Amino acid sequence: MSGSAPVLDRLPGDRRYWFLALGVLLLAWPFLFGSFWARIGLGALMWIGLAQSWNMIGGYAGYLDFGHGAYFGIGGFAAGIAMVQFGYPFVVGFALAIVVAAVLAYLVAVPTLRLTGAYFAIATWALAESIKQAALILEITGGTFGLSLPRSPDTFIGIAVPFAISETFFYYVMLLLCAATMLVTYVLFERHEFGYRVKALRDDQDAAESLGIDTTRVKRQVYVLSCVVAAVFGSVYAWYIVFIHPNDILAPIVTDRMVIMALLGGLGTLTGPIFGGLLVFLLQRLSSVFLGSSTFYLPLIGTLIMITVLFAPSGIIGILRGEIGRDDVRKNLKELGEKFDLL
Amino acid sequence: MSDGDTILKTTDLTKRFGALTANDEISLAVERGEIRGIIGPNGSGKTTFFNTVTGFYEPDGGSVHFNGEEVTGWEPHRLARRGLGRTFQIVSPFKNMTVRQNMLAVQTDDGRSREEKRERVGEILEFLEIDHIADNEARGMSGGQQKLLELGRVLMLDPELVMLDEPAAGVNPALEERIMDHIHELNDEGTTFVVIEHDMHVMKTLADTVSVFDSGRHIAQGDFEEVSQNEDVRKAYLGGTTAEDDEVPV
Ligand SMILES: Nc1ncnc2c1ncn2[C@@H]1O[C@H](COP(=O)(O)OP(=O)(O)OP(=O)(O)O)[C@@H](O)[C@H]1O
Ligand SMILES: [Mg+2]
Repeated sequence: MSGSAPVLDRLPGDRRYWFLALGVLLLAWPFLFGSFWARIGLGALMWIGLAQSWNMIGGYAGYLDFGHGAYFGIGGFAAGIAMVQFGYPFVVGFALAIVVAAVLAYLVAVPTLRLTGAYFAIATWALAESIKQAALILEITGGTFGLSLPRSPDTFIGIAVPFAISETFFYYVMLLLCAATMLVTYVLFERHEFGYRVKALRDDQDAAESLGIDTTRVKRQVYVLSCVVAAVFGSVYAWYIVFIHPNDILAPIVTDRMVIMALLGGLGTLTGPIFGGLLVFLLQRLSSVFLGSSTFYLPLIGTLIMITVLFAPSGIIGILRGEIGRDDVRKNLKELGEKFDLL
Repeated sequence: MSDGDTILKTTDLTKRFGALTANDEISLAVERGEIRGIIGPNGSGKTTFFNTVTGFYEPDGGSVHFNGEEVTGWEPHRLARRGLGRTFQIVSPFKNMTVRQNMLAVQTDDGRSREEKRERVGEILEFLEIDHIADNEARGMSGGQQKLLELGRVLMLDPELVMLDEPAAGVNPALEERIMDHIHELNDEGTTFVVIEHDMHVMKTLADTVSVFDSGRHIAQGDFEEVSQNEDVRKAYLGGTTAEDDEVPV
């Protein structure tokens, strides 16, 4: 069953009303709480979307992608280069981000998806690192100076934007992207047989092949999709944040966060990245806003990861299903190792 | 290439692992509609033969014909969609999915609609008498139930030929009987089987023809009585590297 059902089933009353209430809350959010919380909200939505994008390849397909953040950065730079170097409007940069990410992801997929487990992790990590280094020396990316994007998004696909440059505008863009990412994940991975094939190859690749599943093709499709989603968020982020630098949007921490969020929330589940993404993002934001320290949350996250890995391999979703401590630690570790083909 | 009724034919099929020749020029023909048994001591190359035939291993020599078509070196999924199904020696259910989802994951290109596919899943589960656990996760099932699920998944391919690697291993006698009954029923309906099995009792009742492997070679073929009288077969089981093997076919 989908990871979401047991949690949602436990809500009292008609599930639709809860969805409706959540929808209304999300739509009214910037007006209810103002621009500070709109900024927090848009960040949370972006990270939930990014965590979900990692979850596609990492959780559903079981490929430990340690270079995923590169596509976030590539999306950002594609948009930035289109707008700064060529003077195009954002939509062109947005389209460019999708195309570049898709082409590169495919080219990367062909050799690297032959690798399994730790080898795939190392290969993708090395790739991300070399992309970052390249961005630091290339002229088109602004090199070590980074890129400053034009400020006002006063038109969007030719339509005048009512709250230009504002948090509110970007809040709604992120809300739309995040909702779209969730919908795509739900339909493709939880409803469609495509999702069964993906999970099948994660659980046993040889068995999947023997049952008519073209595992090479399915893996490539998942990888390209997940990379494109990350790039889409990267392009909007660049537009929003206005100044992009390889050391920020191509930093390994971008990948690390996505991995941690998906892991904490529950790998290969629809709602896991929502919980994991919210938790990690809020811990980080709130600790930097209220405690004046942006690193305070790190030991806390570290502890949470240890607890998850040892006692609740299915993450927060597993805990909500009552799975915590259900098995012994060795079995949990083994389960996680098997998920990523590390054993 | 095909002599009409041969569904599977290998010619001098060879597979090496370094210095070890795990399959040494194996030539073997399986007739449509039969149940073929494959026996042989541990390490004699039976599983390797399955893997080479079904595209998991690239052969070092020789060829494979399925339904008169040369399929040597085809990718496994392509062969599966052509109607060649197989199971593995170690049960390999998709653990994090339900029985039904395990079945729905199977991909064919017969153009069946979603509903038709779901209907077929229902039929197969009913046939195998595991429809009551259709929505249970595979991870929680017993070894025997997992074996039945594997058989069910293969049937989703509507296979013409099914290759089973030790379908009765580690299964209790009652379930073993059930699995054998299912194989017989399916065979009566026209499905051809190639079955690796160490259990000589199973082999005796199941197989129309038995092929004997030893040290990577196909050393004998015939009905069960014939091969169990065969001098080479006796030697293979009694002498050599597998002296401790107590499963002598006599
Ligand atoms: N992937 C592999 N790499 C290296 N050697 C292998 C591989 N697969 C099989 N072998 C070797 O090939 C020989 C034949 O093995 P195979 O698994 O085909 O035997 P088997 O007849 O199925 O035995 P069993 O009855 O124990 O299942 C053995 O010596 C085995 O160690
Ligand atoms: Mg074997």
